[in-house]
Amino acid sequence: MKKTVMMLVASLLLSPVALAEVVVIGHPSITDEVSANTVRDVYLNRNKAMTPFELAEGNAIRTEFHNKVTSRNDAQLKAFWSQQVFTGRGNPPLTQSSVAAMKAAVASTPGSIGYIDSADVDKSVKVLLTP
Amino acid sequence: MKVLYRICPLALAIVTGPTLAQADETAQMQQQIVVLQQQVNKLSQDRINLNGFFSTGYIRSNNDAGYAGSTTSSEVYDLSVMALQSTFSLSDQVQATMQIIGRGSESWEPEMEWAYLSYRPTSELQLRAGKMRQPLFMYSDFLEVGYAQPWARAPQTVYGNSPSSYVGADAAYTINLENSSITTQLFGGNMEDKKGSASVDVRNSFGLSTSWTNYVWTLRGVISSGELNLVATNAGLPPVEEERSSYLGVGVSYDDGNWQIISEATRTEIDGFYPDVDSAYLSVGHRFGAFTPYAVIGWTESQDNEERPAMLGSFLNTERTEYSVGVRWDITSGVALKADWTYATGFEDGPNGLDQQAVLVEGIEDTNVYTFKIDAAF
Repeated sequence: MKKTVMMLVASLLLSPVALAEVVVIGHPSITDEVSANTVRDVYLNRNKAMTPFELAEGNAIRTEFHNKVTSRNDAQLKAFWSQQVFTGRGNPPLTQSSVAAMKAAVASTPGSIGYIDSADVDKSVKVLLTP
Repeated sequence: MKVLYRICPLALAIVTGPTLAQADETAQMQQQIVVLQQQVNKLSQDRINLNGFFSTGYIRSNNDAGYAGSTTSSEVYDLSVMALQSTFSLSDQVQATMQIIGRGSESWEPEMEWAYLSYRPTSELQLRAGKMRQPLFMYSDFLEVGYAQPWARAPQTVYGNSPSSYVGADAAYTINLENSSITTQLFGGNMEDKKGSASVDVRNSFGLSTSWTNYVWTLRGVISSGELNLVATNAGLPPVEEERSSYLGVGVSYDDGNWQIISEATRTEIDGFYPDVDSAYLSVGHRFGAFTPYAVIGWTESQDNEERPAMLGSFLNTERTEYSVGVRWDITSGVALKADWTYATGFEDGPNGLDQQAVLVEGIEDTNVYTFKIDAAF
């Protein structure tokens, strides 16, 4: 009985996370089809054709995005970017403090991409990809 | 009726007026917000970037072999490094970067480690000119950025006597393939360095490196050559004058997010009596959340001992095997604590790279070195 209750509680706790799905969004000016590999290259400083934005470290959507797209966790990303910065290859993407700020930044920056929960999508941004 | 005709437009104006004005205002405000947001983006993105790194720590060994400069007394001071780096964007393609470093071992005297201009005509090509770090081996160009490395100290067999900044130019070209990318870099310039009483100077140095990565595996190869001038005043060694020095290196690394495996093999050749040295190391680490324990085995050996007279040989012959175990703990984003124990042995016939005098006089055969370090990047 205890086990069933526990499982019920666990599933209740987990369900909102399970429902959330990360989507890659872009400025409406991006008309070309964007592949997951391109998004990964943009977020790993190997393709400078687009401007990426990040959510803050520890954010669940950020974790899911990087899990699916770059296969790197926050500590790895931090170490990776310190290598890039201190070898003069570039600076990490700008971090947006909230989903609203992420959408505003993407909506107002031509050629930029970001990622948000699919539930937060509105017409100010364009969904490019569901990784 | 006439009156009604007259009142009608008026009433219409009264009813619709405010809503029209409101819609107008909202659109205006929305536009203002977009403009402001664009300005904020522009400001934070394009103008100036400030970064830095900091390290401090404690190193101690059980004898005076002088491994990585360690002695039997604590040396917090020697491991301390603080650097500030700023990048100014002159345009989308042109950036000016400078980095100032203060080292505890040099009485914190600030030194301009980097000062260069970079130009990126396309997304694939980057050209730089000025003072930069030489990208010789895999970790050479960020050797002092402890935070960007898994270890408390880069393996000394390969990085123990690594050259520092040079003044010159480089060009890097990146080709993005479907699931991997190749970066090729050409570099050339002159280097001047003073290490204690020794002064090193490499003229007309040039090199080529190329690396391929599929984001998990990385393969890298490098070749470099220059004319070496070296004066070591206190050791009583004859000076090196315009001898050709060359570096060869191959490296492979694997990082799947859990396992972190790095291995390099390098060959340094110097014409004349200075030693030609082969070195290699293998490092294996595994991430367990914030903790990354690692183990390293390293080896270095001079290949031309028979070319040196006995007196010089006892100073310049190189031979050593070393074993390290340690752990990196990512306390919080941007700060890592590291603890390391290194055991080095087999250097009684090849003490070069250590304190030769102490090794020879005291007859030291092995050494245990304990390091505790804090690395930060910001």
